Amino acid sequence: MSDITIGSRHLSPGAKTALGVFARYGTIIGLLAMILAFSLLSPRAFPTVGNFTNVLNQASLAMIIAGGLTLAVTVGELDLSIGFAASLHGILVTGLIVQNQLPIPLAIAIVIALGALIGLINGFIVTKMRVNSVIATLGVGTIITGCAFAYSAGVPIVSGVPEAFLQLSLGRWLFDIPNNIVIMVLVLGGLWVLVERTDIGQQIQAVGGNAAAARLAGINVDRIKTLGFIISGMCAALTGILLASRLGSGTTSAADSYLLTAFAAVFLGSATLRDGEFHILGTLVGALIIAFGFNGLNIFGAPTYSQYIFQGAILIVAVGLSSLGRVLAES
Amino acid sequence: MGTPQAPPFVVVRNVTKSFGGAQALKGVSLDIVPGEVHGLVGANGAGKSTLIRILAGLVHPDGGTVAIDGKPTAIDTPHQATELGMNFIHQELAFIPGMTVLQNIMLGIPKRTRFGLVDWKAIAREVAPIAERVGITAPLGASVKGLSTAENWLINIARALVRKARLIVMDEPTASLSASESEKLFAIVRDLSASGVAVLYVSHRLDEILDLCHRVTVFRDGESVKELAGDTLTRRALVEAIVGGHPPGAAPVRQGTSGGKVVLSVDGVARLPRVRGVSFDLHEGEVLGLGGLVGAGRTELVRLIYGADRADGGRITLDGRPFAPRSPGAAVRAGLGLVPEERRTEGLVLAKSLAFNVGLANLDKLVISPLFRLISPRARANLALETIRALAIKSQGIETPVGRLSGGNQQKVVIGRWLQRAPRVLILDEPTRGVDVGARAEIHRLIRDLAATGQAILVVSSEPDELPDVCDRVLVMAEGRIVKELSGPAVTRGAIVAASYAEGPNTPQERP
Repeated sequence: MSDITIGSRHLSPGAKTALGVFARYGTIIGLLAMILAFSLLSPRAFPTVGNFTNVLNQASLAMIIAGGLTLAVTVGELDLSIGFAASLHGILVTGLIVQNQLPIPLAIAIVIALGALIGLINGFIVTKMRVNSVIATLGVGTIITGCAFAYSAGVPIVSGVPEAFLQLSLGRWLFDIPNNIVIMVLVLGGLWVLVERTDIGQQIQAVGGNAAAARLAGINVDRIKTLGFIISGMCAALTGILLASRLGSGTTSAADSYLLTAFAAVFLGSATLRDGEFHILGTLVGALIIAFGFNGLNIFGAPTYSQYIFQGAILIVAVGLSSLGRVLAES
Repeated sequence: MGTPQAPPFVVVRNVTKSFGGAQALKGVSLDIVPGEVHGLVGANGAGKSTLIRILAGLVHPDGGTVAIDGKPTAIDTPHQATELGMNFIHQELAFIPGMTVLQNIMLGIPKRTRFGLVDWKAIAREVAPIAERVGITAPLGASVKGLSTAENWLINIARALVRKARLIVMDEPTASLSASESEKLFAIVRDLSASGVAVLYVSHRLDEILDLCHRVTVFRDGESVKELAGDTLTRRALVEAIVGGHPPGAAPVRQGTSGGKVVLSVDGVARLPRVRGVSFDLHEGEVLGLGGLVGAGRTELVRLIYGADRADGGRITLDGRPFAPRSPGAAVRAGLGLVPEERRTEGLVLAKSLAFNVGLANLDKLVISPLFRLISPRARANLALETIRALAIKSQGIETPVGRLSGGNQQKVVIGRWLQRAPRVLILDEPTRGVDVGARAEIHRLIRDLAATGQAILVVSSEPDELPDVCDRVLVMAEGRIVKELSGPAVTRGAIVAASYAEGPNTPQERP
């Protein structure tokens, strides 16, 4: 099988190799090309340590939520509840701190536990009730939005947020590196080790690769899928907490848009280095592309609506590249 | 009844077809005359379904001709096959559950419209007599949800008649019908035949073939070896033609005995309708074969033993202790291993590496730190290398995606996964399907070697040639039951095939 068919056209082995290289390295080449282009177009504002740190700092929240989503998609499911959940978590953590006067670490722990619980519920609905994950998590996400409005009555919690909580996201506690970046590196590093270097990670990859084969090899597929949702839920909680800290408020729908960003990052990532497989490092690259893209648009003063167009287009290109990689790998 | 004088509707001459390296059809010929019920029989893999797929326009022959009404015709698409007047009814019936009986009958057929809207009333008036003729009792407007398999067959036949079919191909029509439902179907087949419609009737059940068919073509190993009709059409002649004059093959060395300790004992295990109460003992050091036709319930049985499906009756013991696995994971922990029937869809994660796939069943052995459950890359690599060496797997290295390996090497990876665990019972379902001759011999030798170490092995195979090569004892299944036990020198291809087709207590029964 030296030739493959895309659409109805046959490709020669040479074209196939070229396409394969494009599919594997296209995202990285794209990222570097983008950085180079912006550097040339805006040599003063763009290629500075300050700007790069800023981009990374901004992108860290998206990277954490996308890292969690990577686990959910790796086990072969989609989690659409993460954006809505992160919004709820932001409101809840500020509410617990401001209104219930809970110590900050306790409030954070409670919210992250709730994120895990939401993941557990998603996993239960998908694996035990056999509901398609798109529908299940969309339903759960909508319920969560309802809960968020009920809790906050639609009014942002702004006043009385303690400075200590703001410092969680705004501070630089380690070598003058923004906390967001430190937390992001720790979370993504941990997830990378989990997926690539533990037996649970092997099971996670097996379940996503072929659930039927994984089950017959003795793996508890339902438990692994649920674990994917739980990690996705916990990362959503962390992003929600950091966003509330950065904004200094708990606002309904504040984190909703992270859903789309996370999906774009994850699918761009799956087209990176591996043939359409989801992986943490890829997600990191995907999130960087989106972050630098936004940053460039901002620097050149592009109107806000262009960000949506950019992000929608990226999502489609990402999924296209991802399935191209898979087609090439399987031929 | 077809008359020999009538010009044939379909003439197949010397058709050949190969898939990859395997020659599925080595030259088959067949005539189908209007109004005849033409039987098509042969062992699994004899080429029946390939010929049907060619007639249906799903695959294209490499050589030979297919003539329709005397004109050589290339059937390129299923649509064209329908246009030519051929209709195909498969075991897995195509119908849409949410639609009505009438909508399902009219599926894919251009419909009469009135003011641009489908005129269901007019269509119903036309279809009603056809529905009555084939014996559809449900109202045309009723939903097909909840209708029996038999009624779905009738809907499919009605659809063929609405399309003015001249040939209806029925593939194992009675496989999921009860005895009385089958009788009804036979009456309809006879009625179709009397009205001039030809029926190509594919079945493993020789009783039905003898009862219904005017003429029977027997396929063996991709060739049409015999045409039987009238006086020559007897059960004996059919079995002989299906089995062929194959030499029994060199007598295999059988080290194993059934005198060892009982490892696995299965008692009355059932999951209706496919497994209807099966009992047997598997001994230490024994290779036990499960023979029979596709659909006899063997895969379903081993899935019950392995915990992949839940039994609704019976008891299993493993080393004398009650054993009722709730999942394959539980079965693996208890000391079972399975090499599944479909290695690509059930055995392997194709995009992942050889090391990954071998490691899947051995993760507990690869973990170095119990707290964080890190796996040791070196242990993983060693495991993969050992497996490659033990099984002589040909690959470019342990990180090669298994999807790129040949069928035989892929199968060795699935088997190799279990070697390190040394399970008490290793179950292999079609261990050499789609595997080349060399790898097949190696896998057979490996099975014998494992048995020599005292492992208990259960081998399912639909190839009658395979079981005599590796097994100490063979149980032949039909219709979800064991119909024959063969051991020692009695394990021959002929005996297995004959038992697969045998009548006996296994004649179709009324289902509850």
